[in-house]
Amino acid sequence: MVTVVSGLPRSGTSLMMQMLEAGGMSVLIDDQRPSDDDNPRGYYEYAPVKRLDQDNVWLAEAEGRAVKIVTPLLHHLPANLQYRVIIMQRDLDEVLRSQEAMLQRLGEPPGPDPAVMRRHFERFLEKSQQWLSQQTHIDVLECPFANVVTGPQPEIARIADFLKLELDQQAMAGVVQPQLYRQRAGTNG
Amino acid sequence: MFGPKIKLDADLYERLKTVSAAAGYATVDEFIVHLLEKAVADAEDAESEAEVRKRLQGLGYIE
Repeated sequence: MVTVVSGLPRSGTSLMMQMLEAGGMSVLIDDQRPSDDDNPRGYYEYAPVKRLDQDNVWLAEAEGRAVKIVTPLLHHLPANLQYRVIIMQRDLDEVLRSQEAMLQRLGEPPGPDPAVMRRHFERFLEKSQQWLSQQTHIDVLECPFANVVTGPQPEIARIADFLKLELDQQAMAGVVQPQLYRQRAGTNG
Repeated sequence: MFGPKIKLDADLYERLKTVSAAAGYATVDEFIVHLLEKAVADAEDAESEAEVRKRLQGLGYIE
């Protein structure tokens, strides 16, 4: 069984990886992407994931561990393995604002107008959810980012139950730092 | 149905009539609207997927 932490970029996937690690779970990460202003406590990524569409041999290393895979790559997961996928859900406007801030810091072009980009993401997420619901090798737990940040205990209990693991739930909650919850809906920062 | 009208080649219309009847559509119009809706949705999905992919590449999450 491979545990996958997924969602759109800037939806709280790094936080969930930190929580799982704090809870005692082995995480598949490397140091290819150093921490920065966007993720002060690290990205918790594994570089080969970015090429999942071309090479999935490394997935054997993820057996019994947690690995972060953004939603657009999930459909490249081979069906010969079983996966428990925690999908981080965050207000789409917050995600877009956070992505735009990150693009700016990276010196990347902003892309389409936010309203247009929002529609693209909505359409994409709808298709992804439809696809995920049809996969017999993937179990999904949807985890609202706002709940994790504002009152993590119930979500942590749900996660432990979903993963069927004895996790240190207190340590997981200790990782959550609400002050890192930026780009909240209805705010500018 | 009221709205914009599209001119079709007579031969194409006859072929559409045959195929739509075989597929169980009540009218040729219904069949054509269905085809167009599907074509537009497919094109929009492809465009959205490409834009999402481009965004993720910009953010460094995929290659």
